[in-house]
Amino acid sequence: MKIVVCIKQVPATTAEKRYTPDLRLDRAATEAIINPLDEYAIEQALRLLDAGAVEAVGYLSMGPESAGEALRRALAMGGDDATLVTDPALAGADEWATATVLAAALDRLAPDVALMGMASDDARGSLVPGAVAAKRGVPLLSYGAELALADGTTRIRRLSATGFDWIEAPLPVVASVTDQVGEPRYASLKGIMAAKRKPLETWSLADLGLDAAALQGAALTRVTDARPPEPKPPTERIENVSADEAAAKIADWLAARKLI
Amino acid sequence: MTTDIFFLAEFADGAPQRSALELASGAAELAAASGGRAVALAYGPGAAEGAAALGAHGAARAIVLGDAAAPAITFGPAAAAAVAADQPLAVLAPATPNGRDLAAALVGIGDLPAFGPVRAVRVVDGTVETEQATLQGSVITTSRPVDGAPQPAVVLVLANTFTPAEGGSGSAEVTTAEAVDHPFAQATIAESHEAEAKVVNLEEATVIVAGGRGVGSAEGFEQLNQLAAALGGAVGASRAAADAGWVPYQLQIGQTGKVVKPSLYLGAGISGAIQHRVGMQTAEHVVAINKDPDAPIGEFADLFVVGDLFQIIPKLTDEIRRRKG
Ligand SMILES: Cc1cc2nc3c(=O)[nH]c(=O)nc-3n(C[C@H](O)[C@H](O)[C@H](O)COP(=O)(O)OP(=O)(O)OC[C@H]3O[C@@H](n4cnc5c(N)ncnc54)[C@H](O)[C@@H]3O)c2cc1C
Ligand SMILES: Nc1ncnc2c1ncn2[C@@H]1O[C@H](COP(=O)(O)O)[C@@H](O)[C@H]1O
Repeated sequence: MKIVVCIKQVPATTAEKRYTPDLRLDRAATEAIINPLDEYAIEQALRLLDAGAVEAVGYLSMGPESAGEALRRALAMGGDDATLVTDPALAGADEWATATVLAAALDRLAPDVALMGMASDDARGSLVPGAVAAKRGVPLLSYGAELALADGTTRIRRLSATGFDWIEAPLPVVASVTDQVGEPRYASLKGIMAAKRKPLETWSLADLGLDAAALQGAALTRVTDARPPEPKPPTERIENVSADEAAAKIADWLAARKLI
Repeated sequence: MTTDIFFLAEFADGAPQRSALELASGAAELAAASGGRAVALAYGPGAAEGAAALGAHGAARAIVLGDAAAPAITFGPAAAAAVAADQPLAVLAPATPNGRDLAAALVGIGDLPAFGPVRAVRVVDGTVETEQATLQGSVITTSRPVDGAPQPAVVLVLANTFTPAEGGSGSAEVTTAEAVDHPFAQATIAESHEAEAKVVNLEEATVIVAGGRGVGSAEGFEQLNQLAAALGGAVGASRAAADAGWVPYQLQIGQTGKVVKPSLYLGAGISGAIQHRVGMQTAEHVVAINKDPDAPIGEFADLFVVGDLFQIIPKLTDEIRRRKG
């Protein structure tokens, strides 16, 4: 039983973002991290590995060559091997192109569970897991607060409108998990040293038998304009007053806006 | 290819979700601009009975994908077949977990362009144009399909982007989609666990009183409940408060919780972390009560009150009750 965790390298949550003249995020100029929600997917996979429910954990990322650093960092947390799909033709890939490439790579790696984060910080569509599952023709188990493996079935605990459900499907599956699976572990010094010797393979589109032309410039969407958000009116402050006064002032403020 | 605008219409417990009504009115608006029809893809318990009534909210047609209480994703193949048969200009999907799963199925099965989550979508020069706040709201981007992209554009739409049309009367022409077998649609609900207390759907609230770690306990949330009741609103929370078990996760607002757009968000004991902010920053009015004058939420609230929530909230509740008589 093997899990492959799909991780994306994204700009650091608090980093200053820059754009290239053609309105793409300038990834070279922005500090990069493992997509925070993918760290939860890694944690879930490693917990199953620790518990003996799976034999191996691998990682897969599609991105620029620098995304190899994210894979090394994942390997430092635990797991066995990693694959980077990188190709100049993939710059600016949208969710459709990303899903197409990841599906092809996963067909080769053939894990029992392809595990993903519930969303990437930069695209935020949560579309890649479902699109990959559809392309591969395997079931999707999405938004798991927990992933459980037993007797050839896979289950996720998923929040419902009023409680939670256990949703089940036969292997192999594509699954995605939320930040409820448990806090991601830190890499130990030993883990960081060990990661340097773990195998990291790099594949191009040609290695995957994919044709760059069929990927239509890696995107079916294009950004036609990028601009700063509308300026906000300055914040009004109420401070250094008694609680009674504060309550009256808040009520006045709400009343002036017809909110009470 | 047509100029129709499809939308996902989720039903639960026999009734359309608010997202279905919002998207019906959005699809009708876009269809008026594209010269096509607004067509519902209805699914979930109550869809077969209730689909025709979507006509009152703007749908000209409704295709019923299925009526079962099954994972939304299992309606994906039927949705993809209905979409492939018409090739409409756009499919609007709610930016909820179920809506995203179905949108992803459309993108993966049909090789389609995907947009979102968007805060605006319109038809310009016969094509779809969307507007999105990206990278934690640091930039607003406008996007379109590339020239020659296949139809439809699949668009994830945030809650409250469109307002449901009220007072309409029409009835949508209803057809039933053929069931489609696809290995992808094999997930089943093995167990369902209901919460003991009723859980509100935050996306439907127009006033939200949210509490964070500063609220300190489940009992502390009782004060917020009372304020919410006085304001006619619902209670929400930060992840810290949900993680602590003071409220159920259904009430969590933020990146991994609900994205809400109420007319009033009042946050108490919440610092305003970026992951929380992305779930509430489009609220029309933001009020924050925090004892730390430097809390990050003070940088983007409309009204920032520095003080102890335990002192201010009960007094504010009384004051509002008094003014409302
Ligand atoms: C991948 C990921 C996803 C996440 N998703 C979410 C999400 O969806 N939603 C979310 O909310 N968070 C999310 N988080 C967590 C987020 O980063 C913050 O940790 C969280 O929002 C903090 O919650 P808080 O503001 O309640 O607590 P804190 O940051 O601890 O803030 C508590 C505040 O209460 C104030 N306070 C204390 N006592 C009082 C008092 N008596 N009166 C007034 N004020 C008082 C303090 O001054 C402080 O500002 C996510 C994090 C990660 C890594
Ligand atoms: N370029 C990528 N490489 C590897 N995994 C990815 C990539 N893009 C998205 N994913 C996976 O898909 C999940 C959802 O991403 P998204 O659909 O972009 O919100 C992420 O949390 C990752 O697990």
